[in-house]
Amino acid sequence: MRNSRIIGGLTLIFLLVLWQLAVTWGFLKPFQFPPPSRIGGAVVELATKGFPNNQHIWTHVGVTLWRIIQGYVLAITVAIPIGLLIGTVAVLDKLTLPIITFGRSVATLSLLPLVIIWFGTGELTKVLLIAYGCFWAMLSNVIAGVKYVDPVMIRAARTLDTGRLRMFVKVVVPATLPRMFVGARMALGVGFMVIVGAEMIGTIQGLGALIMEARTFYRSDITIVGMLFIGILGFSISTGLSWLETVLLPWNKGLEEVRR
Amino acid sequence: MTGSVRWQDAALGVIGTGSLFVLWELASRLGFVSPNVFPAPTTAIIGTLRTVPLLDILGHVGTSLLRIIWGFALGVAAGTVIGIASGWYRAFGVLTKPVIELLRPIPPLAWIPMAIIWFGLGEPSKVFVIFLGAFFPIVTSAYKGMTGIDPALLRAAQTMGLRGPKLLFRVAVPAAMPDLATGIRIGWGLSFGVLVAAELIAADQGMGFMIMNARQLGQVGVIVFGIILIGVMNLITDYFIGAVIRRRIGRWHAV
Repeated sequence: MRNSRIIGGLTLIFLLVLWQLAVTWGFLKPFQFPPPSRIGGAVVELATKGFPNNQHIWTHVGVTLWRIIQGYVLAITVAIPIGLLIGTVAVLDKLTLPIITFGRSVATLSLLPLVIIWFGTGELTKVLLIAYGCFWAMLSNVIAGVKYVDPVMIRAARTLDTGRLRMFVKVVVPATLPRMFVGARMALGVGFMVIVGAEMIGTIQGLGALIMEARTFYRSDITIVGMLFIGILGFSISTGLSWLETVLLPWNKGLEEVRR
Repeated sequence: MTGSVRWQDAALGVIGTGSLFVLWELASRLGFVSPNVFPAPTTAIIGTLRTVPLLDILGHVGTSLLRIIWGFALGVAAGTVIGIASGWYRAFGVLTKPVIELLRPIPPLAWIPMAIIWFGLGEPSKVFVIFLGAFFPIVTSAYKGMTGIDPALLRAAQTMGLRGPKLLFRVAVPAAMPDLATGIRIGWGLSFGVLVAAELIAADQGMGFMIMNARQLGQVGVIVFGIILIGVMNLITDYFIGAVIRRRIGRWHAV
C-alpha cells in the first residue's frame, strides 16, 4: 500500500517534469499548457498581488466557500425535516414521489436565467442555485434513509413497548443518520458543481469567476491555479465530512456500497 | 406488490403532481405571482409554442442530445477501458490512480476555460466538458468494480483453467458490471447537468442556448418551458438507460 503511494507520487512528479520539459523544448505551447514553473509563479502572484483587480486568492477561496456554505446549510436544514416527514408518512411519500423525481432531474444550472430574472446577478442567485442542487440530493437520501430503516430494529423497539415519538427519536432518526451523511456528501458534490457555473456570471470574486476572468486575460496559468484550488477545497471538505462521520457514527461501517 | 396497490400508488403520484401544477397555475392566474416573473405552466408552454417555431425547439433538443451523446459515449469508452485496465493490471493502476485522484475533485465546469483554450469555441469544447462529466464517475466505478470482485470467483475460474484475457472478459468484467452500471447512470446524469453550462460557451443552438437567449429577450415563458424540457429529457433518457442496463446485465443485479 505504502509502496504504491510512493510510486504514485513519483509518477506525478515524473509527469510534471515531463510537462515542464515538453514546454521548454517546444512540444507544448506555454499558453495552452502552462508549465508547472509558471503555475507556481501564478500561485505566488495570486497570493501576493492578487488577480483580477488585486483580489487575493484567499478572497476568492473565502467568497466561494461562503457561498457554498450558505446554500448548503440552507438546503440541508430544509431537506432534513421535510425528508423525515415524507419518509415517515407513506401517503406523502407516494404523493410527492414524481415531484421529487422531477425536481432532481431538473438541471440546476438551467434555473440560472430564471433566478437571475427573479433576484438579479447578486449573491442571492448563487446561494439559491447551490441550495436547489443540494436540496434534492439531500432530500431523496433522507427519505430513503427513513423508509429503509431495518424493520428488525423497529420490531425490536416495539417489543420493548416503545411509544411512537420515542421510536422516532431513538430508533428511526439514528438509523437514518448514515444515509443522511451519504446525502450530505452527494449534496456537497452537487454544490461544487453548481458554484463554478453560478460564478461565471456577474461577479469577479470567487474561484469560478477567477478561472473565467483569467481566460479572458489570456492567463491560462491562473486558470489552472483556480481549478486546483477548487479541487483542493472540494477534496478537503469531503474528507472533513467523512472524518466527521467516523467521529459521529462510529458504529456505521456497512454503508460503503451506497456511498457514491 | 399487487396490481391494485400499484395503481393506487401511481394515482397518488398523479394527484400530488397535479395539485402542485394546479397550485402553481392558480398562484399565477390569481395574481399572487406576476406572470412576467413566473408564468403559469400553461401560459409558459402555450406561449412558447406560439412564439418559437416547433422546428427550432426540436433543433435545440437535437443539438443538445447530440452533444451529450458524443461526450457521454467518449466518457463511457475512456472510463470503462481505463477503469477496467487500472483495476486489472496493477502496474497500470498504480500509474493512473494518482492522476485520476488528483483531477477528480475538479468539477467538470471548471474545465470550461481550458476547454476553450484547447479546443476553441466550437463543438469539441462542449463535448469535452460533457465528456469529463461522464468520465470520472465511470472510471472510478469501473475501478472500484474491478478491485472489489469476490476473489473466490476469480480463483474458481482459475481452477477451471481460465487465464489472461479470457479470465478478464468472461469473469472479471461481468462481475464488475453492476458497479460500472451505477457509474454509467451517474455519468449520464452529470453529463446532463453539465450541458447547460457547456452551452454557455458561444453556442447558437441547443437547449441551454435556448433559455439563455430567452433571458436576453426577456421571454420568461420560454425559460420556464426550457427548464421543464431539459428536466423531462433528462428523465426520459435516464429511464431509457436504466432499462437498457437492466436488460443487458440481467435482473440478478439490483441497479
